[in-house]
Parts: sequence; structure tokens; C-alpha cells
Amino acid sequence: MALEVKNITKRFGGIHALTDVTFRVEEGEVFGLIGPNGAGKTTMFNIITSMFPPTDGEVVFSNKRLTGKKPYEITKEGVCRTFQNIRLFPDMTVLENVTVGEHCRTKSGVFASVFRLKSQKVEEEKIKTKARELLQLVGLGKYEDTFADNLAYGQQRRLEIARALASDPALLLLDEPAAGMNEKETNDLFDLIQKIKKLGITILLIEHDMPLVMRICDRIAVLNFGEKIAQGTPDEIKNDPHVIEAYLGQEEEDELA
Amino acid sequence: MLAEIINPYYLQVLSFILINIILGVSIYITLSTGQLSLGHAGFMSIGAYTSAILTLNYDFPLVVGVILGALLAGIVGILIGIPTLRLQGVYLAIATLGFGEVVRVLFINWESLTQGAIGISSIPHFGRELVTGLRDTGFTADMIGIRNNQLISLLVFIILLVITVLLITFFVRQNHSRVGRAFAAIKMDENAAEAMGINITYYKVLAFAQGAMVAGFAGALYAHVTAYISPSDFAYHRAVEILIFAVFGGSEVIWGPIFGATFLTAMPELLREVSEYRYMIYGIILVAMMAFRPQGLIDHEMIYKIKSRKKKKKKVEDDKKERNRHGVGS
Ligand SMILES: Nc1ncnc2c1ncn2[C@@H]1O[C@H](COP(=O)(O)OP(=O)(O)OP(=O)(O)O)[C@@H](O)[C@H]1O
Ligand SMILES: [Mg+2]
Repeated sequence: MALEVKNITKRFGGIHALTDVTFRVEEGEVFGLIGPNGAGKTTMFNIITSMFPPTDGEVVFSNKRLTGKKPYEITKEGVCRTFQNIRLFPDMTVLENVTVGEHCRTKSGVFASVFRLKSQKVEEEKIKTKARELLQLVGLGKYEDTFADNLAYGQQRRLEIARALASDPALLLLDEPAAGMNEKETNDLFDLIQKIKKLGITILLIEHDMPLVMRICDRIAVLNFGEKIAQGTPDEIKNDPHVIEAYLGQEEEDELA
Repeated sequence: MLAEIINPYYLQVLSFILINIILGVSIYITLSTGQLSLGHAGFMSIGAYTSAILTLNYDFPLVVGVILGALLAGIVGILIGIPTLRLQGVYLAIATLGFGEVVRVLFINWESLTQGAIGISSIPHFGRELVTGLRDTGFTADMIGIRNNQLISLLVFIILLVITVLLITFFVRQNHSRVGRAFAAIKMDENAAEAMGINITYYKVLAFAQGAMVAGFAGALYAHVTAYISPSDFAYHRAVEILIFAVFGGSEVIWGPIFGATFLTAMPELLREVSEYRYMIYGIILVAMMAFRPQGLIDHEMIYKIKSRKKKKKKVEDDKKERNRHGVGS
């Protein structure tokens, strides 16, 4: 069930967003993908989920090539994501948002829906039950009838996680889930990620919140200007001179300024 | 007594309202995946001409003609829907408007089949066919004390009403299902929908084809209710008229275009003086809606409020019952 990112290169016109990046995420681990702004992290997610094709290289998940597949097929293969700039379905309720996530694991079509076949009714019940369980898991159980648009920022991020989990992923991609969260919310997020890990779901995490990253990740890869400059355990990364120079050093500069 | 109540003229107006409701539903379906199509006059004409020609020239039974007309419109919908998948918003509107014009010009020039601009007349009439059929079973208008033309318009109205109710039920149920949720997700954020596992190509083509089929169905019904069609019935103004149903009534919920079609069809009939200015009024409505209420009169929020009020009312009643019960008990 490992994810293999092999020699991925992505150019947008003259911009080298990613250059020959290779890494491997093992089953069951929380793998961090970090780097300064514009390093190419989100671009990597977009390539893994086929939002656009790489210029070169390929992505393989549990021995199946993902590159070249459509985004919805990748979700079906068990890889689902959240978005850095929250992309919920704003005019749907919280519950409906999660039920949409279950789409690829269910199958009632037009006929079954319109004629309310028994199979469809049973399936709808299952969909709702599962959605409610997931809302409970992310701590949004009370809000199922609220419109997604009316949720607070941190709640929207958790709803995105619930929606992605609804597709039964084996690998979950989280793009800056802690962005805009306060300390308490970040701690809750830490617990949530732990719970998700315990469910046997592998996690690939993009995050700027370094304490969170260091606490939760088993291994980390660091991108800078589209190139992988380091990879290792949190302790190794903390002490890597390249990383300190490119990333943590930059933060210190910010702090000094 | 019945003879005094039934006014064939009003029944005819009601029948046109129903046909327009079906057209409103047709544009709603396509819009519910975020695709703005101005080709529905074209699809309507395909349904109308197909059924008219099959029943008139080839003696197909009326029901078969209508079904084949709708199916052909649906198939053409698939053929148009696939290449225009990549087009968004106004580009799709322009492309589909072009399609509608192509169909109209085709019908004008294919004279051997369509009699060109003159149009096709004496198309088998719904009501008359039915009355003839009923006569064979021994039932006539005077048995219930009404004239023949009253029976004809009454039958047309009843049949259209049943069809419309069934059609609305169909799409309301579809909306409240996995398919409807996929449509809505695509409308709100196509890329996010695809990332959540929805095959957007399939659902967009499905919605486009369903919309085309329903428009073709309405066209076929129209042909057999008016008994006369010509290419000018399906020109640009018709495409805009169908769009206005959705713009005015709203396209977020199915009740929007249904209300739009009802109101805008009834209005010129009720206010004879304004019917001359119909298209001017449409223009004003378009501009005013875009400026003040772009989502149309009936939107999600309104339906949501009505629903929650109903729920509250029900709760109050339940509470009352509960209290009464306790009162009796003590
Ligand atoms: N669709 C696109 N078209 C053109 N350029 C793009 C596109 N997407 C990303 N880029 C560019 O690629 C580079 C990497 O962007 P990316 O969003 O992957 O960075 P990131 O590491 O996620 O940064 P952040 O931490 O700010 O989210 C940036 O220079 C960005 O401007
Ligand atoms: Mg990013």
C-alpha cells in the first residue's frame, strides 16, 4: 500500500515548480512534506491526485500507476485529499458534504433512485449513518444541518477531512490542515490525526506548523524551490544543515526581523 | 353543470403552462450541473418535428411518436453534450445557441421532409385522437353533459397534468439521491467534486442529455397540442423564453423554473394589455433579476425556511398533543 513518487518534475511555463522529486510513503505512517512558501508542496498533491499531469516522472500507489488516471479514479484507488484553500460545497449542509465523499463507494443510479428501490433506500441509510459517524469523529456531530458556508474556519477544515475520509481512503493527503487554527484547535487536530492513523490510514501531510509536524510525523521530506533537499525522521530534519539554512533558518530570520 | 365550468380557452392556456413547466424543468436539469444551455429550443424542435413527421407521414401511434421524439432529442443531447464538456459559462451558452440556430435552419431547408418555413399542419391532435379512441369504446362527450371540444381540451389538460406531475416527481426524487448530490457538487465546485470521486464527465453528459430529452418531450407534446409547428416556433426567442423561466423563478431548486414558467405564461393571458409587450417585459425582467436577485425569486434559503417552519409547526402541534395527553392522564 505504499505511495511511490518517482522523479516527478513539473514546469509551468518558465517556473520549475518541481524538479526530479522522489520519495516513498510507507503503509501506516504519517509522512510530512514541508518547505517554504512556493516550494511546490501543493503542486505535488495536485500531481498525485491528477489535477494536472507531471511534466515528467510517475506516481505509483500499491503497485498501480496513478499517473494518467482521472482524479475520480484515483479517489477510487483509495487516495483522497483536502485542499489548502478550503473547497467545500458551500450551499450543502455539513452532512450532505460528507455524503458526497461516499459517492465512489456507493452505486445507486437514476433508476434505483427514482423508483426508490429497496437497495437504494438501504444504501441511503448506510450513507447517512457512516456520514454521522465521521462527523462524530471530527467533532462536528452537532452541526450536521448547518450549511458548510456558515461553519467557522477550523470547523471547515475538519469537515474537509471528514469528507475525504468518507471515500474510505487508504492514503489521506492533508494540505495545511492546521492553517488558521488556534492552539486548542491545533491540539484537537493532533488527536484527530492520531485517531485516523489508528484506523490504519496512511497520511501524507503538508504543514507549516513546525511543532505539530515534529510531534506527529514519522518521517519528513523537505522541498525547497521544487527540489527535495532532505528526508528523514523529525530529529534528523531538525538537525539537517540544509534544512536549517533553507527553511528553519528563514523562519529565524523572520523572527529576528 | 360541467358544461358551464369548462372553458376550452382557459384549459388551453393551462395546457401551455404545463408544457412550459416541462420546458422549465428541462433547463433546470442542465443548469443543476452548472451548464448553461441555450439549445433547448433546438432540442424542443427535434422532439416536435420527429413526432409530427412519424405520426403524420408514417402513421406511427402518437405515443410512440412522442417517445421517439424525446429519445432522439436526448441522443442529440449526448452528441452535443460531449464535445461541449470543456466549455464553461457563456462559451457553452454561445455554442448551444449556435446549435439551436443550426437545427432551425436545417428544418427550414429540409423542405421535402419538413415543408420548410411553411411548417407542418394537421399533425394528429392529442385530444381529438383520444376522443376518437374513446368513441370506439362507446364513451362520448354528451354522456357527461359537455360538448365535444370541451372534452377534447379537458382530456389534453388532464393528461398533461399527469405527465407534468410524474416528471416533477421523477426529478425531485433524483435530486434527493446520490445522483442529485453529484449534480449539486459539480455545480458548486467541479474540481473538488472530481477529487471526491465523482465522474464529472458522466454526470455532466447525463444532465445535458436528460435536459435535452425533456425539452424534446415538451416539443413533441407541443406539436400534438397545437397540431401545427413551424421553424419560427423554435427560434432564438423561444430559447430565451425558456431561460427566463429559470432566471426569473430561480434555478437553485426545481420549484424556481416551475414557478417562473407558470407565472410568465399566465401573466400575458391574464393581462391582455401587456401581452403585446411580452418580450420587452422579458428584457426588463432579465436586467432587473441580474441586478437585484441573480439567484431568482425562489432559492435554497427560501425552501429551507419554509421547511424549517413546517418542522417547527409540527413540533408545536406534537408538543400540544403531548400536553393534552398528559392533561387527560392526570
Ligand atoms: N497552476 C499553476 N500555474 C502556474 N504556476 C503555478 C501553478 N500552481 C503552482 N504554481 C507555481 O508553482 C510554485 C509552487 O507552488 P505550490 O503551490 O506548489 O507551493 P507550496 O509549496 O504549496 O506553497 P505554500 O506553502 O505557499 O502553499 C509557485 O511558484 C507557484 O506560483
Ligand atoms: Mg500549498
